[in-house]
Amino acid sequence: MTATHQAALRAAAEAQAPVLARLGSWITTADHKRVGILYGASAFVFFLIGGLEALLIRWQLARPDSAAISAEMYNALFTMHGTTMIFLAVMPLNAAFFNYLVPLMIGARDVAFPRLNALSFWIFLAGGLFLNASFLVGTPPDGGWFGYVSLTSRPFSPGPAIDFWLLSLQILGASSLMASVNFIVTILNLRAPGMSLMRMPVFVWMTLVVQFLILLAFPPITVGLIFLMFDRFFGTHFYDVAAGGDLHLWQHLFWIFGHPEVYILILPAFGIVSEVLPTFAGKPLFGAPVVIYSGVLIGFFGFGVWSHHMFAAGMGPVADAFFSVATMLIAIPTGVKIFNWLATLWGGRIRTTTALHFAVGLIGLFTIGGLSGIMHASPPVDLQQTDTYFVVAHLHYVLIGGSLFGLFAGAYYWWPKITGRFLDERLGKLQFWLLFVAFNTTFFPQHYLGAVGMPRRIYTYPASIGWDLWNLVSTVGAFGIGLSILLFMVIAGRSLRAPATAPADPWDGRTLEWRTSSPPPPHDFDTIPPVYGRDTFWREKHGPRRAPLAPPAADAHGVHLPAPSRWPVVLAAGLLLASIGALTHVGLVVLGGLLTVYAAFRFALEHHRNPAHEHQVGALGLDHRKVGMWTFIGSECLFFGTLIATYLAYKGRSVVGPHPHEILNIPLTTLSTFDLLMSSLLMVLALAAVQRNDRFQARLWLAGTALFGLIFLGFQAYEFTEFVHHGLTLQQNLFGSTFFVLTGFHGAHVTLGVAWLLALLVLDLRGRLGERDAIKVEVAGLYWHFVDIVWIVIFTLVYLVP
Amino acid sequence: MNDGASATLRRLLLLILPAALGGCAFDLPHSTAVGRSDFARAILDVYGIIVWASLGIFLVVAVVLTWVLVRYRARPGAPAPAQTRGHTLLEVAWTIAPALVLLVIAVPTIQVTFRTQPAAAPPGALEVVVRAWQWWWEFRYPALGVVTANELHLPAGRPVVLRLEGPDVIHSFWIPQLGGKRDVVPGRVNRITLTPDAPGEYPGQCAEFCGASHANMRMKVVVQAPEDFERWVAAQRAAPPEPEGPAAEGRALYSRLACVGCHTVTGVSAGVLGPDLTHVGSRSTIGAGLLPNTPESLTAWLLDPPAVKPGVKMPALGLSEDEARILAAYLLSLK
Repeated sequence: MTATHQAALRAAAEAQAPVLARLGSWITTADHKRVGILYGASAFVFFLIGGLEALLIRWQLARPDSAAISAEMYNALFTMHGTTMIFLAVMPLNAAFFNYLVPLMIGARDVAFPRLNALSFWIFLAGGLFLNASFLVGTPPDGGWFGYVSLTSRPFSPGPAIDFWLLSLQILGASSLMASVNFIVTILNLRAPGMSLMRMPVFVWMTLVVQFLILLAFPPITVGLIFLMFDRFFGTHFYDVAAGGDLHLWQHLFWIFGHPEVYILILPAFGIVSEVLPTFAGKPLFGAPVVIYSGVLIGFFGFGVWSHHMFAAGMGPVADAFFSVATMLIAIPTGVKIFNWLATLWGGRIRTTTALHFAVGLIGLFTIGGLSGIMHASPPVDLQQTDTYFVVAHLHYVLIGGSLFGLFAGAYYWWPKITGRFLDERLGKLQFWLLFVAFNTTFFPQHYLGAVGMPRRIYTYPASIGWDLWNLVSTVGAFGIGLSILLFMVIAGRSLRAPATAPADPWDGRTLEWRTSSPPPPHDFDTIPPVYGRDTFWREKHGPRRAPLAPPAADAHGVHLPAPSRWPVVLAAGLLLASIGALTHVGLVVLGGLLTVYAAFRFALEHHRNPAHEHQVGALGLDHRKVGMWTFIGSECLFFGTLIATYLAYKGRSVVGPHPHEILNIPLTTLSTFDLLMSSLLMVLALAAVQRNDRFQARLWLAGTALFGLIFLGFQAYEFTEFVHHGLTLQQNLFGSTFFVLTGFHGAHVTLGVAWLLALLVLDLRGRLGERDAIKVEVAGLYWHFVDIVWIVIFTLVYLVP
Repeated sequence: MNDGASATLRRLLLLILPAALGGCAFDLPHSTAVGRSDFARAILDVYGIIVWASLGIFLVVAVVLTWVLVRYRARPGAPAPAQTRGHTLLEVAWTIAPALVLLVIAVPTIQVTFRTQPAAAPPGALEVVVRAWQWWWEFRYPALGVVTANELHLPAGRPVVLRLEGPDVIHSFWIPQLGGKRDVVPGRVNRITLTPDAPGEYPGQCAEFCGASHANMRMKVVVQAPEDFERWVAAQRAAPPEPEGPAAEGRALYSRLACVGCHTVTGVSAGVLGPDLTHVGSRSTIGAGLLPNTPESLTAWLLDPPAVKPGVKMPALGLSEDEARILAAYLLSLK
């Protein structure tokens, strides 16, 4: 049966299925293509909401002294516009492309963890809905997307507005983190035979870099938000100046995340352009390895430049100079990319499709955004530009001129693959020109407005300053952008009603996704495609005649498709319920928490002993789950690293006692540390016993490990109680806040580990944990050892170092 | 991009550019392009280098891009392009070239970064403590015993060190013509060191989002000839004239009302949460640069501050029109 035939059969079967069943199949789907479409569709709706907010902002600013919108509503609008566009529009639109295309481009049949993928989507949706629900109850967040403390601390933002913001950011962070682990494992482990790393399409490479950025950049902001949450809900002092707190702490944690976030938003567009240009120039990407390395370098440097957002914050000339030079260095790999794109077009046979229009538009507009970025890499110049409309212009040249143009290029390019239909090329070019002109009309004048001193985030300005004309022009342009988005919706709507005429390879593509039908069958490829090199499909079609590669060995289990699951959506609903509870009634928190835990268990056990799930060894020669755990541990290192760094930075800053040396009980903690170390030994024994199928010892050591974990938690409970008796609470001083949050989160990790071990033990007692399940114990063991190692670091730095 | 379209684009640019430049005056009150202090001029030096370098790079990219699109557009019958995969020497060249341009930018950048943030105050510098509140500015001259709000007076030609301190949330002090902005961060002390060139009035406003009335947190710096500055200091140090007529009634009202809890008028009240009003009549605006300091606007303000300035900490006191008017008379008498 051909793939096209199967797709047709599926479509026919679906068309006959009742609406509810069809809806259900989307809600429970674990197919990466459907998850991608879900991401794309919901992100587009959020994009429209964010765009509407932008139009209201521009409406208010069109005239001086305008009273169209109140100050409070204006502040909420720009806060929500920024937060929405970044977290609910551009990131998930990128995710839509990752989901749909990465498996197809590396010759895989799905992602490594399909249900986890669905879970990422549903949690994202829960976070987006929760954030926007703040409008419905009349308290939209109004502290800016960067949420600087102390403005967002309880005394200056008493209502639930900021709580909505920080809770939904936490939810969205969890979704992004899961997705990043999933895609790192997918890209490293699920590549078709022959698809070496350097043969991967650049879009896949950029996806990989972005996933590492998410993996490592989100923990600091997660910790920063935890501090803010504890300050607001439980009265800790992380951002309390009177108690010795430092407001710069939030700014550092925010921008350590916030700057890599810029690359999280833009690198996927770079990847898209690097696919679109070669296809329509009919040439390979010029210097592909250099484009890849420069993407990796951008990601790497991206972690060392965060403080260029803080040149006005007063860090002193040495820090200013360091971050300035680091920032300028990033311009080099970025410039290299632009030159390589130009060289890709040079000497080509350029087909001027709509997708190419957008890709070329990106090169021009991103160059402007990049150059204005170099201007504020210079601290003195930045002191005049930061927090003005010059920066608003800059960031929109990067995020619209870069990200959005890239996304549109990708949409026009891959739409036939995804829907089997074309987008109208003539109207598409009209949409491009409308967007191009309107975008420049909106944002180019903002450079000027910034240069003549118009600050950002002001809801009004007086007539006498001379900012009127170009604000009006900018507003007119903004409505033009809106018009072009409407036109895109018309084009897309018309396309979806038209008959499916797109062939498998409409553009003479170079990468593997064009080798399967449009749209692809549920299993992506009838046989895993051969890989001849970079641009493998092009070589297969046009390359020198060569003996066909032997097809990769057929999968021993046949084609395995991920089964649908209802637990991702249930788990996300549990999280949503708990978040609603955090703002209303603690009972709902408990209920939501229980639902989350229950769904997590069902999720984890759903495919226990499903033969298709036993063998998951991929291109690295390692099990997916093991690679996933290692990846997750990488993120956890940053999480605990941030907590520990904060503890050390705040050490000695408490304005009242008790202080650490008065209260820490080193002998007792030495004992509990020894206990936890021994538990790691038992964990090793347990794994060995499971591997050699020694049922008795497996149970004994699993139970022993869990017991030692429980004993450690007992020690911790005793220690906490003692401290409270001695007057050290979360609220007492900075030491109490940092100590309890750090060790408390470690304790929570131990608790999770104990629950995991007990679940394995129960499986074993029911006779469902045999030799072939050893990988599950091994993954649990990795986590357990990691948590122990973290404790050794905490014990050394918190207890032993005076 | 087809030929017709790119020609349209060129025509459009030819139309827009002159119009755009004609509409862009750079001598506006908040312009960053006019340097009126050593600090601002040092910044403009670096600014100029970067702007020219950026324009140059942009022109190169734009010209190459346009040329490539026109020259290599697919034409019927064109042969399949050569499958060039890269060129090491070229790629090394366009890695090194931007690095050199960056060097040209980086060196003056770092020089100015250090020069404009001296570790010690210059000799003879005047120190002013700037305290930024939601949503107004407090200026204290410790050596002169003067406290004022929203209008900072400085002598021309004398170095000044602004010590930035914050009691509530983060703000940012910014007078564009006098130089770059610097955040006012509660719990930290930041400094701006500068020497204003010449007498004049230089407006500015808070540049870090700080809540509801961030847009209404304006101020101005009045740079005066040294002798005028001395006269201003002497007037600020003197007790305000004894009020007469309605103003005297106003003072009685002021002393009875909640005003005294937040505001200072030397000899009458000693509140510290709002602006010092001892010489409020000598200032040209009220509400942090929001309204001119006239009897009418002051009366409107006193009747309902939140209606004039969203979120303002000063509540409506429930005054009658008459009460507001005599209170305004008193405040305006505080020259």
